[in-house]
Amino acid sequence: MMQKTARLKIVNRFGVTRSLPLGNPVFTIGRKAENDLQLLSDSVSRQHAEIVYEDDAYYLVDIGSKRGTFINGQQIVRCALQHLDLIRIGGDEDQQITFLDDTIERASAIFESSPRLTLTQQADRVTSANEELQKLARFIEVNQAFKFSLTPDDVLCLIVDAAIEITQAERGFLMLRNAAGDLEFKVARDDNRKWLEGADFAMSRSVVEEAFKQSRSVIINDSREVALSFARESVRSLDLRSIACIPLRRFQMSENMDATTILKRDAVGVLYVDSHIIGGTITETSIKLLESLAFEATKSLESVRLMHEEREKKQIEQELGVARQVQVALSPTAFKVPDYFEIAAHNIPSRYVGGDFYDFISLRDNRSAFALGDVSGKGVAAGLLAAMAQGALQAQFTSNMPLAEVVSSLNKVLVQRSDSNRFITLFCATLDPDGHFTYINAGHNLPVLARANGETETLTTKSVLLGAFDFVEYKPRQTRLTPGDVVVMYTDGVTEAVDADSQMFGDERLEKLVRESLSLSAEEIKQRILDEVLNFTAGLPQGDDITLIALKMKQAPPAP
Amino acid sequence: MEIQLRTSGSVTILDLSGNLTIGRSEENLRETVKRLIDEERRFLLLNLSEVPAIDSSGIGAMIKSFTSVMEANGKLKILKPSRMARQLLSITGLLSVLDTYDDETSAVSSF
Repeated sequence: MMQKTARLKIVNRFGVTRSLPLGNPVFTIGRKAENDLQLLSDSVSRQHAEIVYEDDAYYLVDIGSKRGTFINGQQIVRCALQHLDLIRIGGDEDQQITFLDDTIERASAIFESSPRLTLTQQADRVTSANEELQKLARFIEVNQAFKFSLTPDDVLCLIVDAAIEITQAERGFLMLRNAAGDLEFKVARDDNRKWLEGADFAMSRSVVEEAFKQSRSVIINDSREVALSFARESVRSLDLRSIACIPLRRFQMSENMDATTILKRDAVGVLYVDSHIIGGTITETSIKLLESLAFEATKSLESVRLMHEEREKKQIEQELGVARQVQVALSPTAFKVPDYFEIAAHNIPSRYVGGDFYDFISLRDNRSAFALGDVSGKGVAAGLLAAMAQGALQAQFTSNMPLAEVVSSLNKVLVQRSDSNRFITLFCATLDPDGHFTYINAGHNLPVLARANGETETLTTKSVLLGAFDFVEYKPRQTRLTPGDVVVMYTDGVTEAVDADSQMFGDERLEKLVRESLSLSAEEIKQRILDEVLNFTAGLPQGDDITLIALKMKQAPPAP
Repeated sequence: MEIQLRTSGSVTILDLSGNLTIGRSEENLRETVKRLIDEERRFLLLNLSEVPAIDSSGIGAMIKSFTSVMEANGKLKILKPSRMARQLLSITGLLSVLDTYDDETSAVSSF
């Protein structure tokens, strides 16, 4: 039995009507360009629905869309289509889609065709103002579609389809310059919105060359009277009647994304449409529309490219953030805590890759080293510098370099690469089993030392932050920790954590908290401070990393 | 941020007003200092009395300015930092490098 023929009538919000025959066994609908019906609304899934022909009937089937498929307002999963059923795909209200059964349609003789279906009948038509308006509507529609998040390939495809529609050509190509400077086919489409097969296509190379090299539009309306000497040969041999070839020029987006400026007159590619059947139908308006389309195309490509670049950059930042989290989390666990102190640390990275880092390192003779740093600025560069500094500190401490030298040499390296405003504030210390605590504070927040008797002091050497001046010396100070003494080291993310009223957590609150927590273990102290900070900020996103280390000298083991 | 220039003997006083933070203001400071060095004005006093906030970029601009002036055999000193600015200069250790004064007369005569 022959398949019953049917079609979809699609009217967009500008009143432009299209008609698509349901020829295939399966007719696909979705946001992707590969679909038989592409709907450019973000409420339409990439692969949204299908119309299948079975048992002498057409069925509309939702193929797992996010926003559902509807017939006459009723959501369906699979349902047979009746003549004049209204189809809604997701939340797309821009297109009115009607199912038409051709047998009934013919009988009732209310056939409404799209301009394209009557193309051959209109081969010698006079372009009416109405048709130009429809082209304009189509052009505006394309411009709207550019706003949706499409891949560069989607955009290219859309441009070619629109170009074909505007000029009523049979096929269209979009070629872009590759790295070698040659033109490469990116899109090849016919007037049924289908991809043309093949890697190369018979077309007027001379017209393409002219448009690309001279960066100007070339329009040939009736090749039988080609006046352009450069094109005569190939146009005739292909028996082409109408050709339009528009150069795509490069743009630079300015910061506000509104103003665009043409960077160079060089073309980055061409948009090409041609046709065997139409003579003299590429009108002035069509050419202007094509040129605007080419302009919008390159602009959109640029913004899509920027969007993807931005996404990639975010991806890199995320990966680096994960890498840094792993690094921050892992390195101290490789550290074997000696029996004379307890230590606990925690890092909450901010939304961005921040520049906090810390490390504990085992030294000779059961001594230990601690480092806590904060790189100025955020982002990938700060993250990398933090990782670099951490690596350098570890290497130098492991080779038994004295504390002052470790800090000085890191400072010199940072000053030498003073390409930007990058500085590191660092608190760095060593602890001996007998309690000798040697430290350098290079511009870092002052750690709180709370003695077992409740007295507190802050640890400063008034040293300049790292990376500023190569002439400064870093001189350590010493103190002696006795059992029960607690040192809390932190980055400014702790004391500058803000609440809903933009009040800061502050040094005093922290100091008081440490003083009140002396009876707790290092782990409990760290947790208590962290809880207080998180309670204070009440879930508000913080602009900076929060890093906290609590160290507690242990009570001497009872004499045997 | 605005920078007004005035001189007192061989000393050029830069009256800063506004926040010294990332962006135009820190660039402005660095460019102004560079221009002054080119004009052989090498004894500079940064008046911070009208600067409410400084961030790490602002600190960076001050460090860069200090280094350029020093390399030109000049001197850069600080006048009247706000309480917050002084605290920042203190924590970052810059007070030990950047001479800081609360009184203009003694600042100028110290050069």
